[in-house]
Amino acid sequence: MGAVKNCVAVVLLLGTAGGAFLYSGIYPMGADVPHNKLTHWLLETLREKSIESASKNIQVPPLDDPNLLLTGGADYNDMCASCHLQPGRSRSDMSLGLYPAPPNLSQPEADHNHDHDDGDEQVDRNKSVRRQFWIIKHGIKASGMPAWGPTHEDQRIWAMVAFLRKLPTLSESQYQILTARGASSSQEHQ
Amino acid sequence: MNTKKVLSWMAIPAMVLAFSSQAHEPAAHNKKAEKADCGAMAKMDHAVMNMKDPVMQAMMKKCMPDMHGTDEHDAPEKDDDVSQKLRHHHDEEKH
Repeated sequence: MGAVKNCVAVVLLLGTAGGAFLYSGIYPMGADVPHNKLTHWLLETLREKSIESASKNIQVPPLDDPNLLLTGGADYNDMCASCHLQPGRSRSDMSLGLYPAPPNLSQPEADHNHDHDDGDEQVDRNKSVRRQFWIIKHGIKASGMPAWGPTHEDQRIWAMVAFLRKLPTLSESQYQILTARGASSSQEHQ
Repeated sequence: MNTKKVLSWMAIPAMVLAFSSQAHEPAAHNKKAEKADCGAMAKMDHAVMNMKDPVMQAMMKKCMPDMHGTDEHDAPEKDDDVSQKLRHHHDEEKH
């Protein structure tokens, strides 16, 4: 009976302390002050486990069609490059100002912060592809990443994923050609 | 008179909303579309180009009309035609 009383007392104490912290307003919410290590770990773990669980049953279509790169490239340039950057551009106002900082998707995935290492290359690749599709479609709460699903069909989102798979390998010239929506520059003068 | 003023003030935000809702339509992007710099492709080292690479195929698809002239190729090309031309172009570079 005494143990139950102690448990209730501890729960009440923690609840009161948590409420006092919540309403005190002392936690810094500005994007220019990073989370402490504990909060960072909690939020990142929550995010990665949630995405992994929500995306595990997504069927990945073939992504080798060159037409996907042309469609996805143009959309990436318009919708994503200001935050997630492009070959030859290592920073922008958005990439510096947002918190958490958006990953530089023109760099190899191994350079991003989240974990990919399941041991099997093909499993890792599919997991990463599903993850990218899910994030583009649904966005991420309180991160600046919008959900493009309500305004873009799945096929268009898969095209962006196909482009993302190739993005780290592209040179500046290749990026420019693949992402340009218009005809070639010399055709314009004919 | 007052009604006209009110209506005109309501029309401005309504128009702003209407135009912003079309912001991600591909057609809207076309108006400010950047042109593909296919001239840069000619400068690339064709000896190291992998013609089976989807990136290369996509670039050729984008720039093929520019490289061969639009007059001869009014009809749209199939992917296989593009691949053949890629190989032909590649061979020419070797000789």
